[in-house]
Amino acid sequence: MKPSMGNRKKTKSMFGLIAVMVGFLILPGFLSEGWISLVNEMLILALAACGLNLMLGYAGMVSFGPAGFYAVGAYATALILIDTNLPFALAFAAGPLVAAASAVLIGWFCVRLTQVYFALLTLAFAQIIHTIIFEWYAFTRGDNGIVDIPIPQMLKSITHYYYFSFFIIILCLALLWLIIKSPFGKTLQAMRENAQRAESIGINVRLYQLSTFVLSGFFLGVAGSLFCGFNKNVFPNYAHWIKSTEMLVVCLLGGIYNFFGPIVGSIVYLFLDKVITGYTQFWPLVLGLIIILLLLFLRGGIAGFIAERMALRRRRGEQA
Amino acid sequence: MFRVEKLIKSFGGLMAVTQVSFTLKKGEISSIIGPNGAGKTTLFNILTGHLKPDSGAVYFKDQEITGLSPHRICRTGIGRSFQKTNIFPRLTAFDNVQVALMAWQKRTRNIFQKADHFYQKETDEILGSLGLGDQKDRLAGLLAHGDQRLLEIGITLGTFPEFILLDEPTAGMSPEESHKTMELIQQIVRSRNLTLLFIEHDMNIVFGISEKVRVMHFGSIIAEGTPEAIRANDQVQKIYLAEEV
Repeated sequence: MKPSMGNRKKTKSMFGLIAVMVGFLILPGFLSEGWISLVNEMLILALAACGLNLMLGYAGMVSFGPAGFYAVGAYATALILIDTNLPFALAFAAGPLVAAASAVLIGWFCVRLTQVYFALLTLAFAQIIHTIIFEWYAFTRGDNGIVDIPIPQMLKSITHYYYFSFFIIILCLALLWLIIKSPFGKTLQAMRENAQRAESIGINVRLYQLSTFVLSGFFLGVAGSLFCGFNKNVFPNYAHWIKSTEMLVVCLLGGIYNFFGPIVGSIVYLFLDKVITGYTQFWPLVLGLIIILLLLFLRGGIAGFIAERMALRRRRGEQA
Repeated sequence: MFRVEKLIKSFGGLMAVTQVSFTLKKGEISSIIGPNGAGKTTLFNILTGHLKPDSGAVYFKDQEITGLSPHRICRTGIGRSFQKTNIFPRLTAFDNVQVALMAWQKRTRNIFQKADHFYQKETDEILGSLGLGDQKDRLAGLLAHGDQRLLEIGITLGTFPEFILLDEPTAGMSPEESHKTMELIQQIVRSRNLTLLFIEHDMNIVFGISEKVRVMHFGSIIAEGTPEAIRANDQVQKIYLAEEV
């Protein structure tokens, strides 16, 4: 009895997933370009937040510096496109790779610490990245940012770029899904729950934390590269702690213990941003209130809340 | 198979472990008793690599393991449980044991395969032997206290140890629960042909299943022998049994 019920549930969620994806694919037929841009931005932020959440929600490593790797990805792609004649594909691939490489270096130091010390060190490194980008005019153009980045003619239309990033993001999310369902992913969750115990069953906790750090840096780098092509301009504030905070808020808003949490969080966050800034210039104030309400009443985030409700309903259904 | 030589560990001016030496034979079931603060858990922490000794050496299967990190000591075939319940609360009971099996078989580096199907049989077997079979889909943190203690042993067994160290496996259990648990542990140790060293507070339990008892007091082992010999030892009675009564 049980497995067949599990299968039915599986087919149902499979069906839902495909429906959502088809929905995203046909969106450009219904929405104006302005809205498609917003959806594109939501998806990119969703990927960044999911990359962060591999560390935050699954491995229990609270990082205050995800924007650092996001910016490294964006700048790597931007600099290659503006300073060299290398093809776009190469410049695009370089973003996540350079971000992952910098995550190896920075992570090597960070995983030596835990909890609040770890968090502060990630923040410090991200601010170092910000300062380097901000001050090194000869290389990064400093606070002028890099503008008018040339991208292929084919990707210049908003709809085309939307499809391009949709494809890359779905690919990355599928990879992240595989990772969290793998033995490696389960190990991360065990480490999150109890690092000391994990060590006593033979897990080299630091090594796994470093691997997570690098994987997370990689996906943040993909998001950065995507945003570079989307915006065609990059600026030092991509590495700023405010950007890191935004990613953390997105994760918390959607729910860090749910795979889809950061995606939901990103959509809701940018939607609110758009709607509320239309009415008032006090968006940060509203955001502050949202964070307070979230932390006090909705600790599992939106996705966590929905999942809980659904589980409750299913249990009631089984009893009836 | 397991030998400890002149271990010393001090914290500041306090000697927590003083010149501790002993040897264990394969398959031996023995225990360490002693009043609170005698240094039992500190000794365990040194043996499993959570603390580094100031001096002395630990040998397992003729190999020196002194001062290795916990995950490397685990790899040599030594498993341990902790005095305070030490499980993965927001994973299911099944996942708790399965992750230990995967860690031991070095499958945790596997990043693109589904974890669900790994070691299903082995996990079920371990949970079954502890009587936790019907609880396997519950979150570990929601199990009853006694079951959490058993699950902790299940995690330890997941790493296929040859030698297990249990730190007060029955802490917080009722007397009946304690006896049942110790019987279960004895049964598992025998059937898997393990060597067992455990810390215990309850004298009755210690004397019931230990072949050898060691008494720790102020950081050193002051007596070692069969339960009968320990029961008859004047010094032990003075410092330990008197305190209990």
